[in-house]
Order: sequence, then structure tokens, then C-alpha cells
Amino acid sequence: MSTLDTIIIDGLAFALPMFIMAIGGIFSEKSGITNLALEGLQGFGAFCGGLTAVLMLRSFEGSSQIPYYVSFIAAIAGGMIYSLIHVALCIKFRANQVISGVVVNILAVALTVFLAKRINDGVFGQPSNKFVLETSVRFSVPGLSRIPVIGAIFKNVYPFEVMIIVIAALMWFVMYRTPFGMHLRACGDNPHAADAAGINVNRVRTIAVMISGGLSAIAGMSYAYSITSNFSPDIFLGYGYLSIAALIFGNWSVLPTLGACLIFGFARSSGQALITQLGMPSSYNDLVRILPYLLTLLLLIFFSKHNNSPRALGEIYDKGKR
Amino acid sequence: MKKLIVKLMGGERFQTMRVSLFCIITSLIVGAAILLAIGKNPLAAFGNLLQGSGLMPKSSYAGRQNMFTDFMSFLDALTPMIFASLAVSAALKAGLFNIGVSGIMLASGFTASVLVGQSELSAFIAKPLVILIGIAVGAIVGALIGWLKYKFNINEVVSSIMINYILMYIITFFINTFFVDPISRQSKTITDSARLTLSGTRAFDLKFDVSLAFPLAIICAIVIKFLFDRTTTGFEIKAVGLSRKAAKYAGMSVPKNIILSMTVSGALAGLAGVTYFCGYFASIQPGVVPSMGFNAIAVALLGNSDPIGCIFSSFLVTVISKGSIYMSSQQGVEMEIADLITSVILIFTACAEFLKMYVGRLSMEQGGSEEAGEA
Repeated sequence: MSTLDTIIIDGLAFALPMFIMAIGGIFSEKSGITNLALEGLQGFGAFCGGLTAVLMLRSFEGSSQIPYYVSFIAAIAGGMIYSLIHVALCIKFRANQVISGVVVNILAVALTVFLAKRINDGVFGQPSNKFVLETSVRFSVPGLSRIPVIGAIFKNVYPFEVMIIVIAALMWFVMYRTPFGMHLRACGDNPHAADAAGINVNRVRTIAVMISGGLSAIAGMSYAYSITSNFSPDIFLGYGYLSIAALIFGNWSVLPTLGACLIFGFARSSGQALITQLGMPSSYNDLVRILPYLLTLLLLIFFSKHNNSPRALGEIYDKGKR
Repeated sequence: MKKLIVKLMGGERFQTMRVSLFCIITSLIVGAAILLAIGKNPLAAFGNLLQGSGLMPKSSYAGRQNMFTDFMSFLDALTPMIFASLAVSAALKAGLFNIGVSGIMLASGFTASVLVGQSELSAFIAKPLVILIGIAVGAIVGALIGWLKYKFNINEVVSSIMINYILMYIITFFINTFFVDPISRQSKTITDSARLTLSGTRAFDLKFDVSLAFPLAIICAIVIKFLFDRTTTGFEIKAVGLSRKAAKYAGMSVPKNIILSMTVSGALAGLAGVTYFCGYFASIQPGVVPSMGFNAIAVALLGNSDPIGCIFSSFLVTVISKGSIYMSSQQGVEMEIADLITSVILIFTACAEFLKMYVGRLSMEQGGSEEAGEA
């Protein structure tokens, strides 16, 4: 396999989960709720999925793919339920949305590590804070994967990448082609007008945050199946924040955000490929890992000035306010 | 029940403090419920927290140790926490969230360990130098975040998190490549003359740690309190935090105040870094962002971003985190339960504004019904 192929394959495996998480963020922020909680949501989702997978792997044969898909469903459910904390704090208790996001993230780390240790100790009888998963199987599309360069897109694909693309397309449709999507965008731009038009602003926002919880959980689970191949506190590596940067860079719309995610993904994978190519010691990997973060910062410098965020972003909806 | 709530938290006097206290007690009850659910005695567990922090005598001690030893070690852990929470609250005054405290701590701690920690300087030069380096490095990174905020309109939360990870990876690289201690896999231990904690001081038949920076932390809190409550600069920063447009209209410079508050915040975070990595610890573990920077957000919010409040809330959170080590060894509970309780406190604190509003509404309802009864 050529280096270029590796860059494309690894880059996509990193970028697509980030993309689906960013879409979740777009849903939440377009409805008017700042969502820094993505980081915690993806971690909690991965925890739920990881737990389910570990529990199920004991009763299924090694080659069965059922635990894989069930764990994704469990992750989505977990992420959606966990996002209700953000909903409650932001909508019901009118907390500052940035504070709420940070709180949700801190709680996610504490809660998942505590529960993981507890469950490992109690159920599996081993002191550990990890749920060890197997790295997901990969497949190559016959024929298409033989094409030079572009073929790499179809080579060694994780099944979750396909799932993400399907869901992303669906979410794009919901956002831009359905009445619900329009209501959602209205709630983020002018909630009072939306309210006057008979839309229940808080209900729409609740659903939007829950969607972001579910989508982030897919991302977290994907990372647990690819990069770390386990659930452990390592899942909280700031990918959630990276995806927020991606959606700001993508100006809160879906397709440009995909571009941003791809840039991050390829920056990461080409950096790693470079280290392998040059035969540098593995400690140099740490230097390369800076790339996505540094790139985010640089891109934000160029693109933050003229962004048009949803107008009512971060504002608590108060019916009485004019 | 409602009357009780109003009685406890209604009225203007010390309301913020009473609401904070209510949040803490409710969180402790939640913590107790968790402990009960996993079959532990919550009272014993909370007692262990106090014992581990040297606030209550343990049943037995090792040689040359007693409650005083534990308490001094507790103060040593408390010092960076006070600085870190002051850092967060200084930024909060200007309406900014400095989530970069962790990264700044690493940067200042690392710079000080490398520049001074390995040198042969005498203690009288080395220790002040460590503090000055901490302040300088922190202030630079803080100012950078503030500059990015006003110049390029980058959300400070996102930029400070990016900077956290960038700093963490760079420092991890340098530690692993140049400064690693082959046995502990951490950075090389700094010399005693550079360390801000006198470890293993012997007196009164005891052996204990003395945190030299603790008085400095208290002084800093008072200075920051003075800065924000009694000076024009502090007033301007607060005005910018409350409403940027209003401040601009009144002729204040928004960029200047944003950068200034982030610089102060960064300098304090830098102090937290040197007292943590060159005081409480003497080496840096590569590959980890210190969680203290994030807990400091909780602490600052709990202290209502008031410098003196920060001292008290740092005290509480440090009791929980420091005592949890002893608790986990005594009760066989995971140490993370401390983080769990801290985050529950945070959740309630996030609702403090709502709570105040709710109490206000309740007391108005009750006041209204009483008046109706009299009429």
C-alpha cells in the first residue's frame, strides 16, 4: 500500500466521525443552543456503546457483527439521554450555555471513568478503567478500490464510515429540506418570530440538542472502534472541540464543514505518514499530533472574523423579552 | 417546603453565599446517595475526606507524621488550586472563559523546570526566578488568547482548548526527547533549591512539607479583590464583561481590557503551574493535561468568581480531591467519586442564577398571599 493510500484511508477514518459530530453541533447551534458539550457527549456515547459491546461479546461468537451494530445503537441512545442534562441546564434551568457545556464535559469524564472502573471491578472482576474492544473489521469495495489514488477511498473502509455518510446525507436533508429543519433554523435566528408562527421553541431546541447527542455518540463510538480500539479516558482527547472548530470554520453549514473535517483528517494522517516515512522515533509523533489543533487555530484566525453565526446563538429564550 | 426554601435563601443579605452553600450541601447529599447505593457508609467516607486532608485525626499514623503533616500537605495542594481558580475568575470578570488554565500550567511549570530546575542557582535566586518565569510565561499565553479573541473574534473557549492540546503535545515531545527520567518516565526531578515547597522539613519530631507560595496565594487573592473592587482598571474590566457595547459607548477600550484581563488570568494560571509542578510535585508527567485547570472552573464558579470566595471554594474542592486518596484506600471506593461529587456541585452551581430567581418568585408569591390575608 502506498503512502498516499494510507494518508487517504486514515484521514477519512478520522475525518468522518468528526464530521458527524460537527453536524450534531450544527443542529444544536442552529437551533440557538451553544454546544460545547459535544466532547462529553461523544465520550459518554462511547462509554455506553463500549459497555454494550463488551457485555454482548461474551455471548456472541467472535466473528459475529451483531455486537458491533448494537453497540452503535446503544451509544446513540446513551448520547441522547446524556444530552438531556445539557437540555435541562440550558432550557429548564436557564444556565449559561457555555458553563453548561463545560459542566457536562467534566461530569462525563468523572462519570464514565467512575462507572467503567466500578463495572470492570464488579462485573468482570478486573481492576481497569477500559473496555477493550476489537478494532472494527474493514472492507474494500471490489473493483473500485483498484483505481489508483481515488481507489483508496474504497479501500480498507470501516463499516461505520458508510453508516456516517448515510446518516449525514439524511441529516442534511432534514436540515435543509423539511419543515422541521426550517423551524430549527428559525429558532436559532429569531426565536420570537418562530414562536409567533406557532413553533414551540423549547421543544425544537430540545430535539436539536438530543440529535447532537446521538450524532456525537456515533463519533465517539467510531473512535473507540478505530483509533483507540477500547473505551478508556483516552477518548476525551478534544475531538469534540475540534469538531466545534470545524463547524465554525464551516460557517454553520453542512458541506463546508465536511471540507474542514477532511482538512483536519488529512493533516493528521499525512503528519503521521511523514514520521513513518522519515523513520523518526515514535516520540516525534507527539509533534505531529499538534497539526490538527494548530491548523484549527490558524484557520479560525482567517475565518472567524466574518462568520455569521445563528443570530440568537447562546441566548436563553425568554418569551417576555422583546 | 417552599417556605423553608424562601427562609433559607430569600432576601438580599449574603444570598449568593447561602445559595452556594445550598448547592454544596445538596451535592454532598447526592454524593452520600451514590455512596449508599454502592454499599458504603457515607459518613465514614466523608470523615475520611477530612482525615485525608489533615482536618480530622486519623486512627493511626506512620512515624514522624500526624494530623499536622497531613494538613501541611493539604495546604501544599491547596496553593495551586487557589491560583488556578483566581485565574479563571479574573477572566470571568471580563466575561471570558479561560479554559486554557491547564495548558498554561503545563507551559509555565515546564519552562521553569527546564530553565531553573536543573541549574545550580542558590535557593534565594532560584525560587523567586521560578515564580517570575511562571508569571511571565502565563501572562504571555494568556495575552495571546485575549489577542486572538479581540483581533480575530475567535471564541476564547475553542482557542484556549486548542492551545491546551498544542502545549501538551509540544511539552510531551520535549520531555520524552530531552528531559525524561528513565526510571519514573516523568520529566527530570527539579533541584530542591528551585522547588517552591520545602519537602521533608524536620521540626518537632515531625517531617512535613512547607508550601512557601501559600501566603503568596492569599496575598494574590486580596490584591485581585482590591483590583476589581477598588480600582478603575478593575471597574473597566467588569464593565466590559457585563456589556461590551455599553463599555465601548462609555469610552472604554474593549480590546485593551480583554487582553489585560486575560494577561492577569494567564499570569495567575502560570503561578498555579509553578506551584503545582515545581512545588506540590517536582516533575511533570508527559502526555497528560492537568485536570486541575478544569476543576478550577468549577471552583471559580462555586466561589461566585469572587477572589475571597475562591479561597473558600478551593478549600472545599481540595478537601474532596486530596481526601479522596485516603478515602479510596480506607473504603475501597474509586477515587473518581471525588470528581463525581465536584461535578455535581458544578451542576447545581450552574443553576444558581435560576435558583435565585426561583426563590425571588416564591417569596413574592408568599409575600403576596400574606398581604392578601391581612387585607
